[in-house]
Amino acid sequence: MLIEIRNLTKSFQKGDETITPLRDVSLDIDDREFVSLMGPSGTGKSTLLNQIAGIDKPTSGSITVNGTEITTISRSRLANWRAGNVGYIFQTHNLIPVLTAYENVELPLLLLPFSRAERRRRVQIALEAVELLDRASHYPRQLSGGQEQRVGIARAIVTDPKVVVADEPTGDLDSATSSHILDLLQRLNSDLGTTLLMVTHDANAAAIAGRQLQLNDGRLISDARNESASPSKTEGSVHV
Amino acid sequence: MFKFMPYLLKTLWRHRARTMLTVSGSAVALFVFCFVGSVQEGLDRLTSQKDSTLIVFQANKFCPATSHLPQDYDQIIGKMPGVREVVPIQVFTNNCRASLDVVVFYGVPAAKVQKIRDFDLVEGSWDEFELNQDAGIVGEAVARRRGLKLGTKFSVGEVKVTVAGIFNSSNKSEEDYVYTHLDFLQRTPGMNLVGTVTQHEVVLNNPGDSVSIARAIDDKFRGGPVETDTRTKGVFQASSLADLVELIELSHYLGYACVGLMTMLISTTTFMAVQDRIKEHSVLQTLGFSGSIVFFLVLAESVLISVGGGVVGTGAAMLALAGSGLSVGAEAVTIAFSPSFQLTFAGLTGSLAVGFVAGVLPALAAARADIVTGLRQA
Repeated sequence: MLIEIRNLTKSFQKGDETITPLRDVSLDIDDREFVSLMGPSGTGKSTLLNQIAGIDKPTSGSITVNGTEITTISRSRLANWRAGNVGYIFQTHNLIPVLTAYENVELPLLLLPFSRAERRRRVQIALEAVELLDRASHYPRQLSGGQEQRVGIARAIVTDPKVVVADEPTGDLDSATSSHILDLLQRLNSDLGTTLLMVTHDANAAAIAGRQLQLNDGRLISDARNESASPSKTEGSVHV
Repeated sequence: MFKFMPYLLKTLWRHRARTMLTVSGSAVALFVFCFVGSVQEGLDRLTSQKDSTLIVFQANKFCPATSHLPQDYDQIIGKMPGVREVVPIQVFTNNCRASLDVVVFYGVPAAKVQKIRDFDLVEGSWDEFELNQDAGIVGEAVARRRGLKLGTKFSVGEVKVTVAGIFNSSNKSEEDYVYTHLDFLQRTPGMNLVGTVTQHEVVLNNPGDSVSIARAIDDKFRGGPVETDTRTKGVFQASSLADLVELIELSHYLGYACVGLMTMLISTTTFMAVQDRIKEHSVLQTLGFSGSIVFFLVLAESVLISVGGGVVGTGAAMLALAGSGLSVGAEAVTIAFSPSFQLTFAGLTGSLAVGFVAGVLPALAAARADIVTGLRQA
């Protein structure tokens, strides 16, 4: 089991009101799974994703990723853990505008003990995986929305993380580009064996995942397997 | 940390107008700080000189134009125990009051100039000076300020001098003086000062005897034709500059105020940069950057801006000080504005310290910001 979530609850105060976006969620996710999270707005999808990514702390409950209980470790140790174990794909790409595509992808590697040559090798492989090696020296403003998102994906996979989370990765893209990005995510899962969690509003997007979760009012209301989705390859996968 | 240098530099370049304006503001502040500091250093140099030299002045007189001591006092003082050398000096200045362009002539027996001063002639020759009655050796600062060259004839009031040499000195205040023959200055038309001098400079064998010998000199001439007031050179110069000292002390605080303003300016700029990049910092933290790395990135931005301003401001101040030969003086005592290693060091380390101080609060704000809230920013 790669991810074990037990009795996860998140609540916070907004004025006089207590908001509870996640209520007693328990969930197991296997290594190499591709899981989509669906549900109406405000039902806690992104909150759950952020908890698993270790950028937000729950009010109660526990999350264990690859044997590490991430809800109890300090903020600085959690940052180190994220650097080596989590890749995050944002809806709005969130590339650093002053850095080239190459430098953006290299950023997470700067935090890890890799030589310059090893960093270069990994960045090239990641950019090749998203078919943007020829745009390595381009700045985000010189890329299309789809290309920016592919650079964001390369940045998320360049450290070869245990889990990649994607928060509505096609939310800002037109349908043709969305389709391209979804294909890419599916290939990452099937070819590289990357464990993927994707939040989406789009049922078609969710359909490419091998497992579809539904959240409503902070609770997990449905957990369905999609046998028609491409399973991840367990042998001969390419590692970045 | 050097791995992040491209990101840091590109981030500063992204807001280059803001960066340049802040660097310029810091540079101006450091320029003023160094300039004011040079005045304070000049004053300190004058007033903290070793007390191995006494100045004998006419009692109850302050301006050199009004002090007239018999020249032959040098014979009497020279025989007193503990006295190594006595030099009678006639002083003439174009302005007894506080001024930024004081020219001071020191009329000294030609043979004694080299004995009592550590001048290094950069142009001209001592022989030329000693052989010609109207010759003068000119300090580098005066020469630079007044555009004087070897052989130039120049005049201040009735005093007309030919430049026989240009000197520099380890005591930068000396470079604001013009040394002439004593009798030449005494015979200046309209002055009729033959047989009198403005002051006697007394070089002692032992600085520890300064108080007792000064008292002995004044006692010797008490009740005589002209009474004397003898003080160590440092005390004499501090007393001559008394009117300026308070102003200089005040301006010193203005220098510190400039550093305070620079701190506020850089802190404001860094805060603005942090506010503009809340989301960016959250993205970095999502990628695995810890709060402490974000803290040091923001702090490094602040330090880079501050040190940039420090290098420009301190460098410009040192060049201006070296090239201008400026000085301020009163009662024929001048304070040289000169560059120094200590001042350069103070300017650069000061800018480094300002960078750290100014960056701490913005860096803390960036490091402690909530990641999820930051990611939601538009």
